[in-house]
Amino acid sequence: MKASKSLMLEMLKKMLEVRYFEEKVVDQYARGAVPGLAHLYIGEEAVAVGACMNLTDEDYITSTHRGHGHCIAKGGELKPMMAELFGKKTGYCKGKGGSMHIAAFEKGILGAMGIVGSGGPIATGAALGIKRQKLDRVVICFFGDGASNEGATHEAMNFASLHKLPVIFVCENNLYGISVAQHRHQAIKDIAARAAGYNMPGLIVDGMDVLAVYEAVKEAVKRAKSGKGPTLIECKTYRFRGHHEGDPNLGARYRMKEEIAAWRKRCPIECLKDKLIKDKIAKQRELDEMEEDVKRRVEEAFVYAMESPFPNPEEALEDLFA
Amino acid sequence: MRELTFREAVVEALDMALERDPRVFLLGEDIGYYGGLFQATQGLLQKYGEDRVMDSPISESAIIGAGIGSAIVGMRPIVEIMNIDFMPVCMDQLVNQAAKMRYMFGGKMKIPLVIRCTCGAGRGGAAHHAQATHGVFMHFPGLKIAVPGTPHDVKGLLFTAIEDENPVLFVEDKMMYNVKGEVPEGYYTVPFGKAAIRHEGEDVTVIATLRMGYRALAVAKEMEEKGIGVEVIDPRTLCPLDKETIINSFKKTGKMVIVDEGNRVGNFGSEVASIIAEEAVDYIQAPILKVTAPHVPVPYSPVLEKFYIPDEERIRQAVYRVLEYA
Amino acid sequence: MAVEVVLPALGLTVEKGTILQWLKREGDVVTKGESLYEVEADKVTTEVESPASGILKKILIPEGVEVPILTVVAVITEEKEELPEKYRTMAVEKPEKKVEPGAPKIQEPSVFLTSGPTEIKAPPAARRLAKERGVDLRAIKGSGPGGAILVKDVESFLIKGMPAGPKVLTTPTARKLAERESIPLSFIKGTGISGRVMKADVMAAKSPPKVSELKPRPPVSKYQLGQVIPMNSIRKVIAKRMAQSKFTAPHIYFYNDVDMEKLFSLREEFLTELEQVHGIRISMNDFFIKATALALLEYPLLNSKVSGEEIHIFPEINIGLAVAMEDGLVVPAIPRADQLSLVEIALYRADLVERARQAKLTIEEMERGTFTISSLAQFDITFFTAILNPPQSGILTLGKVEPKPVVMDGQVVVRKTMRQGLSVDHRIIDGAVAAAFLQSLKKKLENPYTTFVKL
Repeated sequence: MKASKSLMLEMLKKMLEVRYFEEKVVDQYARGAVPGLAHLYIGEEAVAVGACMNLTDEDYITSTHRGHGHCIAKGGELKPMMAELFGKKTGYCKGKGGSMHIAAFEKGILGAMGIVGSGGPIATGAALGIKRQKLDRVVICFFGDGASNEGATHEAMNFASLHKLPVIFVCENNLYGISVAQHRHQAIKDIAARAAGYNMPGLIVDGMDVLAVYEAVKEAVKRAKSGKGPTLIECKTYRFRGHHEGDPNLGARYRMKEEIAAWRKRCPIECLKDKLIKDKIAKQRELDEMEEDVKRRVEEAFVYAMESPFPNPEEALEDLFA
Repeated sequence: MRELTFREAVVEALDMALERDPRVFLLGEDIGYYGGLFQATQGLLQKYGEDRVMDSPISESAIIGAGIGSAIVGMRPIVEIMNIDFMPVCMDQLVNQAAKMRYMFGGKMKIPLVIRCTCGAGRGGAAHHAQATHGVFMHFPGLKIAVPGTPHDVKGLLFTAIEDENPVLFVEDKMMYNVKGEVPEGYYTVPFGKAAIRHEGEDVTVIATLRMGYRALAVAKEMEEKGIGVEVIDPRTLCPLDKETIINSFKKTGKMVIVDEGNRVGNFGSEVASIIAEEAVDYIQAPILKVTAPHVPVPYSPVLEKFYIPDEERIRQAVYRVLEYA
Repeated sequence: MAVEVVLPALGLTVEKGTILQWLKREGDVVTKGESLYEVEADKVTTEVESPASGILKKILIPEGVEVPILTVVAVITEEKEELPEKYRTMAVEKPEKKVEPGAPKIQEPSVFLTSGPTEIKAPPAARRLAKERGVDLRAIKGSGPGGAILVKDVESFLIKGMPAGPKVLTTPTARKLAERESIPLSFIKGTGISGRVMKADVMAAKSPPKVSELKPRPPVSKYQLGQVIPMNSIRKVIAKRMAQSKFTAPHIYFYNDVDMEKLFSLREEFLTELEQVHGIRISMNDFFIKATALALLEYPLLNSKVSGEEIHIFPEINIGLAVAMEDGLVVPAIPRADQLSLVEIALYRADLVERARQAKLTIEEMERGTFTISSLAQFDITFFTAILNPPQSGILTLGKVEPKPVVMDGQVVVRKTMRQGLSVDHRIIDGAVAAAFLQSLKKKLENPYTTFVKL
């Protein structure tokens, strides 16, 4: 089934939002304005956007330390996201979480986590809760190739499959767990192969093609909602920058420059833009306008964050217990 | 009033919880058809079915994670980690996720999760099935900890734990399961953060957790006949801790002994001593003593295990020692 | 719009970087994202991208220079734009150094520990009680483990005014009851295990004990034959200063007998009224203090100290009064005694002496003295000499007042007389000056109406 024009334009817009948001973070981080660490999603936009296009505000996702993309794709708004990165009171977590621990509960974002692999069990738990309360919802658990080796991920998949829970495990295989290439950290090449070990379907998808991701996750959502249980979808993708900002030469310490350049040519945003023009689905001017609009809104969010106040020091003691 | 064993009180509490609130469900290893390793969930699966009393694979991280996730989306799970010795296996889910998610995410979500586990040595469980590390978890902000000391309290505290909107580590002393005590019928709660004074006295304050409470009480009764007043306090919860009752008692006696089965260094008693040294320093008349297990793993041989567990003689010696300063 | 090119934050711990090579030259066209220069930091070389498109108008930091991160290293402008003024003169400008919050200032603990020196073993509760009740811990013998002073030792000391006796075996309940009834434990016969005093024994003791059952009273003095007493810190200080004074300043001594009759009468006359009006009983010492101060005004050389090769005459006359304590002497001083009225002197004197006895004086009160009066008038001794209180140059001693036969107008009469002594530092005070001072003082005291009554 082909995606409609409006859907594709929506996906492009979301990917542009992620891209411009992350570019802003690059710039500000270099100027020393963002505390802590920043792990950016540039290059992987198609995975988050393609997957989350299938969800509503009522569905849930668990995210990772590289979570800005997931959060924006799931409906996280730019202003409170930007404010959170700068540690401001108006951020999604009132400045308490920061880049690695962004959450927006009202949008079904159960949280970005600093611990690799910790999202699996929680996503499984949320799916259990959904099933028990007979809600028509699903959970997407985003995790990377690195997390696929964590024991907790294995436990979560086994448990989810055993109880046929409505959770979709979307693995973003960007070929590196921090600096260690995939072939040096696991014996298999295709993580999707592990799905058989849990008696659930496993698919491999081109993670740079947002429409492909969209279609694959669509099927998985249908499966989950009909009570057939989880699916493992492995998206082959690539991050254009280093593991974190400050990773020298954009990860060239452990990646070949030629490899980086080759993947950059397959930029998911440029690919979609090209397709829309070539297939005469949209005009260049439309796309330019959209891009300008996104750029403007990201800038607005940045100004909002800059103008927002920091929390009072005493607020550090709040929000521990309900 | 009727008497129940500690175990029967737990079963009754879980039964009533499952009955009252359809959002409550249990998840743990062997809690279903087997009825729990210590028979603390006996008969519940038969009554409520597999969906509400779930046997789990041996996956501690998945168990806690399942509890966290389902609690966030509206359930009230009571998960079980069979022995507190296994807690390090799922430490991340417990202390990094469950305890911290509310704070990290700006107070926007609630995690009303109860995690039951057992502790205590005395049956030859040795290094991996007999630990009493409940004190360790006080260090992690965001986690409440209950340490019931009587059958009456285990039922009331469990109901409070289930009603609480925060993650609660609920520690049951496995050596107490057969201990009998008065347990009222029906639903009642025992508040968190309110210690119980098990015995009054003017000369020495003894704080004792879990089944050490019974040993401290025996020593207190013995001392009473000699004209020495020992006040025995059961904290009931380590977090929140009832500092007020402890300090008030200390102001009266000026002498303190803390009895806890954990190892010596970083014991719950260490924190109490620090609180006294900070908030009641002018009342200190004698050294503040901790009666704990020695700082070694739990040994296997009965002779060694007996040496390991704090007993009445060690409590008595400690009381005499502080009385030298009377 | 000119865009600053900054040396970016290169990782969590990197603070500085060195530009190894500029990949573009001044005047080159650059595009956003294009590599601009290579930087080395912490042994890692990174290429840095251009943050904007335009002309690389000016390079501010050349190759080979190490600068902190966030330093502006170059400026990019648009095609026809001029370089903004402020960058033209910037050479190797360092950005504002981040001000590290200073380490919190550690408060030096006050030298004077009013709760007692810490070599004394006593748990906090005992210390607090001693402090509240003004008991010097050094006076108490501890009966606890290792000689620790326990609460009961302090309590016992308070009841009896003397240190607790040998350790009496008892129960806490019995001990508390004994204290409540103010019965020393050593007075009670114990019928418990090992002679332990039990609650019942205390109850029995409440009724007056038979004489034969009384245990012998402890001795009055706390010193015993053969005892070795380590010097406590106060005693050490006194010993040191006395030695220093005696062996540095050559002392010469003078004495004079002073007729006290008129002074006594004067005091009698005003005593009651002054007490009613001002609430203070004027003592003889108050008169001495005032008279001495007035005499020092006339002979300021006695109100001085030796400082290297100079004589420094003190700017004020602060008369110190030696007060005997349990373990030594303290000398609080009445400030500017020459300017105070007798009543004011009396008020100062009463307060300082009271607080001296409680060990509650401030350092300033003890160190501001410029001349000292030492009185042993309450003892049955005629006269004594004193060692100067360094750095002072004079000290007046007062013996007892006793009726003595003197010759007046050719007759032998009996008059109340006091023998006063004066020690001075002979390096700076000669006999004539000392004698003149003493003479002046005598005159003032023997003509008290002229001295003390302001007309």
